[in-house]
Parts: sequence; structure tokens; C-alpha cells
Amino acid sequence: MADNNKLLEVKDLVIRYETDDGVVEALNGVSIDIYTGKTLGLVGETGAGKTTLAKGILRLIPSPPGKVVSGEVIYDGKDLLKISEDEMRKIRGQHISMIFQDPMTSLNPVMTVREQIMEVILQHNHISKKEAEKKADDMLELVGIPAERGHEYPHQFSGGMKQRVIIAIALACQPKLLIADEPTTALDVTIQAQVLDLIQKLKTKDNTSMLLITHDLGVVAQTCDYVGIVYAGEIVEYGTLREVYKDMRHPYTKGLMASIPNLVENVRRLQTIEGLMPDPTNLPKGCKFSDRCKYATDKCREKVPDMVNVGGEHVVRCILAQEEK
Amino acid sequence: MKKDNTAQVSGVKQRSLWQDAWRRFKKNKLAMVGLVFLAILVLIAVGTIVVDLVTNNYIYENYVIKQNLRGRLDPPSLEHPFGLDEFGRDMLLRMLWAVRSSLFMGVIAIIISGILGGLLGAAAGYYGKTTDNVIMRFMDILLAIPSMLLAIAIVAAFGTSLVNVLLAIGISYIPTFARTVRASIMTVKDQEFVEAARAVGANDPTLIFKYILPNAMAPIIVQTTLGVAGAILSIAGLSFIGMGVQPPTPEWGSMLSSARTYIRDSWHITVIPGMGIMLTILALNVVGDGLRDALDPRLKN
Amino acid sequence: MKENKKELLRVEGLKKYFNTPGGLLHAVDNVNFSINEGETLGVVGESGCGKSTMGRAILRLHEPTAGKVFFEGNNILEYDKNKMKQLRRDMQIVFQDPFASLNPRLTVSEAIAAPMLIQKMYTKKDKDALQKRVSELMEMVGLAERLKNSYPHELDGGRRQRIGIARALSLNPKFIVCDEPVSALDVSIQAQILNLMQDLQDDLGLTYMFITHNLSVVKHFSDNIVVMYLGQMVEMAPTETLFKNPAHPYTQALLSAIPIPDPDYPMNRILMKGEITSPIDPEPGCRFYKRCPYAKDCCKNPDIGLKEIEPGHFVSCERIGDPELKENANA
Repeated sequence: MADNNKLLEVKDLVIRYETDDGVVEALNGVSIDIYTGKTLGLVGETGAGKTTLAKGILRLIPSPPGKVVSGEVIYDGKDLLKISEDEMRKIRGQHISMIFQDPMTSLNPVMTVREQIMEVILQHNHISKKEAEKKADDMLELVGIPAERGHEYPHQFSGGMKQRVIIAIALACQPKLLIADEPTTALDVTIQAQVLDLIQKLKTKDNTSMLLITHDLGVVAQTCDYVGIVYAGEIVEYGTLREVYKDMRHPYTKGLMASIPNLVENVRRLQTIEGLMPDPTNLPKGCKFSDRCKYATDKCREKVPDMVNVGGEHVVRCILAQEEK
Repeated sequence: MKKDNTAQVSGVKQRSLWQDAWRRFKKNKLAMVGLVFLAILVLIAVGTIVVDLVTNNYIYENYVIKQNLRGRLDPPSLEHPFGLDEFGRDMLLRMLWAVRSSLFMGVIAIIISGILGGLLGAAAGYYGKTTDNVIMRFMDILLAIPSMLLAIAIVAAFGTSLVNVLLAIGISYIPTFARTVRASIMTVKDQEFVEAARAVGANDPTLIFKYILPNAMAPIIVQTTLGVAGAILSIAGLSFIGMGVQPPTPEWGSMLSSARTYIRDSWHITVIPGMGIMLTILALNVVGDGLRDALDPRLKN
Repeated sequence: MKENKKELLRVEGLKKYFNTPGGLLHAVDNVNFSINEGETLGVVGESGCGKSTMGRAILRLHEPTAGKVFFEGNNILEYDKNKMKQLRRDMQIVFQDPFASLNPRLTVSEAIAAPMLIQKMYTKKDKDALQKRVSELMEMVGLAERLKNSYPHELDGGRRQRIGIARALSLNPKFIVCDEPVSALDVSIQAQILNLMQDLQDDLGLTYMFITHNLSVVKHFSDNIVVMYLGQMVEMAPTETLFKNPAHPYTQALLSAIPIPDPDYPMNRILMKGEITSPIDPEPGCRFYKRCPYAKDCCKNPDIGLKEIEPGHFVSCERIGDPELKENANA
């Protein structure tokens, strides 16, 4: 998959948390590629390791208890895990920025909205306060908030408006990559539609790449170019949107898709995936999904299956796919 | 069809939140040292009471309070590890016998304020509105008077007796308790599990005692430990200015007070009771902090 | 609508207002509907539309400001404390947040037994009978027997929600208000819980009022759906009709905003202006006026009531029948 447009490459990232109850194996060798101007959607359930991956890329894993065991994050020819903290600070916000899930708590309540946007701009650009202020106002207008409201405080904004402010902060320095961690989960559907629409527009304008983390397969279908399905700290299926959605191979992906109540078709009973996610302090030895998989055989439980290419860029971590081939 | 077929998860560890908290507390070494120190104090207090009962106050009368002017102010020696005080009494024995007044009076004072303040705070927090307003404004008034001043005023007005000292200190700690209890009840009472209990027809006492209070205990427990420390200090303070425990009954505050004249020549009779107060307060505060960390759900995981 | 169905619950002119520093908050404003025995009514709306308050007002967990709630023909708002306690056996609630809705100090079996003890269905003496009943309930909701002595914080969201359901079922209710019972759960767990609730309905003949913000969740579940906006009902229809032919502009926008997990599905989202506000001292007229793409002056008329546009399909919109609106509905 050699590609010149590759903006960021994560190779075999392994992250653990050392807690009282044992070692949480949060991320077990995840590799992803993000291409310029494209959006990669990461889908998975609570505890799958999506957020750990996002924070791992930006080196925001709290340590202790978190620990990056191995792996590389290649951006612009450099391994982000090896550069100094000073260099990393320049990358954050200017090259890669992040939107967090909860708009209610990600803004500083004692600073006005304009000041918060200005702060990011001033940190990464050597420009005067006046210019920064002008730029902050432009950003506000861009996300659909009248610049006059810039002097207001976060509590004077509604949830959707706050998320717009957060987007404005994240995009203020025209980053190359935007990491959005469940950006619309806390919002109502109609507001979600507005915010997704906005992100999409701004992304296209600056040709920004995006890593969208979500549990909502619908949101992914409507916004992403590539999809990775995450389960228990591993990518189990990866490919272009169409490859994955139109030709699902991994039993987990299939199960996930079937368990969503469908708005288009009529189903009386939902299909379910029996059981629960494995305990991350005590993961199964072989395929992580084998305990819940209908097709699992002894072979699945022996060792972690390799990624199998099933055509195009579509890869699946399943013995079945291997055998079919 | 509806079967729970994941074998691992839970089953192994079934710990209530209290057990969990204790497990976390045990990890805090400093707090454990504090707890051991306090346990020793309690043993000493109980031990001296037992000794008095068994010997019919013989030791107390003949060694703890009986003056012996021959050896006054002797520094620590093998025979008297803590030395003798200004009346020639053994400092070690006096220190040991003093533990019970400080500790038990502190605890009783806090129990008084805990019960009164707790009930007032619980009523204010649970019923809200006017009840809350009336109670809390009254507490504000109490809080506006410095607690030491209030205690002095009560003792001065009603005379220096043990009961009055306890009442004085107990009353001065009521507002602190009322506030703590009210705040923690208010955060718990609107949670869904309380509403769920209401939805199955539970009445007010069931709601308060079975659902709300057990879940509001954490800050109250922490407040109690810190409160005992404060009360012990207040008792020592009152005794120091001669309004608390009266000589010759040994009490750290009054020992400190009567020793202060000799501070230039005989360091040991001031330093030893001072250390006693300091270490006890330190132990209580350390335990209180440890409890706060152990009981705080935000630190869970 | 299906014939021969017995009406279990009827709500008439239900209102719940709250006094807030900003003014009078019309959380639930003049709501009317009825639910037949064994059926499910879906109540859909965004946060702040009053759907949860309505559920609680019906159970008198919040005392309604005005209106009538008939349960099996009797107005329960006139009941005294004792009669109400008796009634609680018939009407139960399952909460949204399985983390907050269980007393953290009670074990699984204690939590399930608590309602039966409170209602004095068992006394402390019938320990064995009570334990048997608890086991029965746990099996019914798919909780393994060995979890009996576990505490809620040791269990995952799906299992906790099962405890919540078992607790509600313990009193043998006829009617259960389900307040967003699956929105805090992961999709794969969500499906398990939805199926469980469906099985229980089939087995025990339960009647549900299913409150949710997620239209797709109620779709395969409900017989009728009520759409709420800022405390008012804007549309009510049999499920199929509502999805096929959404008449109110708000319902249309809501439906169009749900992302479909199919890259080929043509999304034409109707983007609304602005956001849902709170109904503090609302102006007369349609509350959706400010965000509605079709709003005209006539929408400011006070008293826009529900109009029946086809059998069982009620809409509260002044511009109903306007060709502009119709076009969108069929898109």
C-alpha cells in the first residue's frame, strides 16, 4: 500500500495501562494509514481502544498508568513517539489537532470564546494580538457563530454551539490532520447533522485529513473514505468505505451491522452478538473475538490470526477469510 | 435463549464499595501509620481506664496526681523516661493518663455535633426549600461566630464543667457537619436509584436511611475524622487557658499551660505534651486524607 | 388501528410546569394520548423536549401541574398516598442510566428484592420464597445465578440494565415506562436488551411507553409513535404511517438527520436553523416556528391543535396540506 499521499502512519502500536487489577492491554498492535484529504473512520464499542489510539498518536496517554510499549507513529518522516516534548508541542494544534467528545467540559469556563481561539493561534504563530483577534473572529464566522458573540463565555452557548467553538479552536491553525473523538455523540441528531455538515465543509476547504472515532456506523457511512473496525485493541477489518460496508468479512463487523435497528428495512427481531467484550486485563490468547464468534474453531483460539488481504485495500483479521482465499 | 454465557468477568471478586475503599486505604502507607498510631492511643486510653478500675485508682492517685516535690523538673532518665514535671510527677504516666480525656472528649464532642449537625443537614438537604433556608441561615449565624470564642462564651456562662466543655465544642462544630451532610445528601437524592426506589413506593425513612445516607457517608466520615482532630485541639486550647479540663487531672492542653513557665529550664515538660497533641492531630489528619482518597469514587479504577 | 384492544392508559391535557429563575418552564404542555394493553407507544424527541418529564409525571414521580391520567379507567392523579403505593405495583419504570439507577450499596439480589419488600409482597420470614422469586427474575432477564451477590459496580452496562429490568418486573407490573433504556449502551448490547424487552412483552403481555431520542430504536418496537418538541406533541401516528408519511416538518427533519449505515443511501438531510431552546414562557403559536423551513405568519396563531389527517395520524401544524410540505414527506 505504498502511497505518496500518506500523511500519517501508525505501525504496530501497543499501549498498556498498568492498574491495580492487572495490566490492561488497551491497544495490541494497531496499524493505520491516513491519507491527505481523506477521512478514516474508526468504529468500535466502549473499551475497544479507539480513544487510546487517538491519544497515543498525540502522545496524550497519561503515564502512569499508561505506557506505550512499542510501535511507531510516522508523521512527516519523523516518529512522533521519539521526538522531544518541545517538538511534539509544535505538532499538536498546528499539524494535528483533536476534538474531544464532550463539548460541555472541553472549554475553559473562565475564558471567553474568542480568547480561547486566540490562545491556540498565538501559541503557534508569531503574529500580533490584533491579528490573532481578527483571525479568531474569522474562525467563529466560519463555524457559523456571529463574531459579536466572541466575547461571551462557554456557559452562554448551547451544546451544539460549544462543539462549533471547539471545532473552530481545532481548525484555527489549519492543521493537516484532525482527530475527532466521538464529536457528535453528546449531541442531538438534528444538531449532529449540522455539526457533521460543518466539519465536512471545512475539511474540504483546507483539504484536511481526519481520523473520526465513533461507535455509530451510520455516521461513518455518511462521512468517511476509509473504515477500520476495532475490537479489543485490534483492528479486525479495514478497507475503503465501500469495501467494508458492501463486502463485510469479519464476523464481528457483520454482527455489529446486524445489531443496529434499521431505519430502511423492517425487522421484527434484532440480531445480537452474544456475550461481552473480553476483559482487557485477561484477553483470549487467539482471536479476541473467538469467545463470541459463531464460527470459531479451536484454530481460532490458538493464535491471533494474521491480517488477510481480500482484495483492493480490504484486509481482515480472520481465519475464515484466510481459508476462503 | 437468554443466557449469560461469558464465564470470566466478576464472580471472582465480589467486593462492596466499603471493602473496595478499605483495600485502597490499606495501600496508603502514611494513612496506615496514622491509623496504627490512633489504635495505640485507643488502647492506652482503654488500658488506663482498666488499670484504674482494677487498682481502684491507686496508681492514678499515688503516681499520676500526687505531688512529690523532691524530684521536680527532673529531666528524662532511665527510671522516668519522660522525666518529672513541676510537681515531681512522672510525665510518662501523666501523658498516658491524659490520652483518654483528649481522645474521648474529642470523640464525644464530635458525636454530639455529628448527630445534631447531621440531622439538621439531612433535613435541610432532603426537604429543601423553606426547611433548608431556615436551618442553613441559622447555621450561618453560628458559623459567623469564631468557634473558639463561642466555646469560651458557653463555658464562661455556664461554668467550667466537663459537660459544658463538651457541649461548647460540640455546638461549635454543628454547622460544619450540617453543611457537609446537606451537600452530600443533595448530590445523592436526585440520583436515579433514589427515584427508582420512590417508583416502587418506598417511604421517606426508607429512602433516607437505606438509599441516600449510605451513599452520602464518604464525606461525612472524612469530616468526622478531621472534626475529632479539631475538637481535640479545641479542648487542649480551652484547657490551656484554664477553661477546660482542670488540674490536677492530666490533660495535654493544661499540662502545656502549667509547664510554660519552666520552658527555659526544663524543655521536656512542654515539648512532650506538645508532641502528644501534634502527633495525634497529625495522625487524625493523615487518616482523614487517606479516607478521602479511598472513598472518592473519582479515583476508582 | 387494531380492533378489540382494551385501553390501559389514557392521558388527557397533561401539563407539567417548573418554576425556574428565568420564568415558567413548560416542560410538558397539554399532552393527550392513550395506550392499549399489550402495545408499545414510542415517545420520541430531542433532549429538553419534555419526554422524560412526561414519563415521570405519568407515574407521579413529578406531580403533574394539570391534566388527567387514567389507568384502567381511574384517574390516578386523585389517588391518595396508600392507593398510589398500591398502584406502583402495576406501573413501573426502567431508567436510562444503568450506572446511576442502581443503589451502589445493594447487591444484585438485594436490589431485585427491594421492591417486593417495600411493597410487603414478602416479609423477612419468607426468605426462601423471596430468594426463589429473585432467582426466577434473574433467569427471566438473563442474569446468571452466580451474580447474585455481586455489586453493580462490578458489572457492565448491559447486565446492570438487566438488573433494572428485573427490579421493575419484580412487582408484576402491567405497564412500564422505559426511559431511554438502551441509549447508554453499546450497539451490540443494545440489541440484546431490546430483544429481551420484546420477549418479556410477548411473554408477560406488558404494555410499554418507550421514551427515546433515537427513532430507529423504536421503529421495530412500537405500535404508535408520539413525536414531541418543546413540551408539545407535534405528531402522533401508527409507526408505519409515521415513517412512510411524516407530516410535520420537525418529524421530517428528525427522520432525515439519522445517518443510515449504507454508503449508497442518498442522504438529503434537512438542515434546520438554530437549536432546540428551552420552553420558558413560550410565545403562543407553533414552538417550532423559529427553526421551521416552511414557517409563515399563520404559524404564529395560538392554539394550533392536533388535527387528524388520516385515521390515527395526528399532526399539529398550521401549514398541513400545503403542497410544499407534502413534497418533502414523500421524498
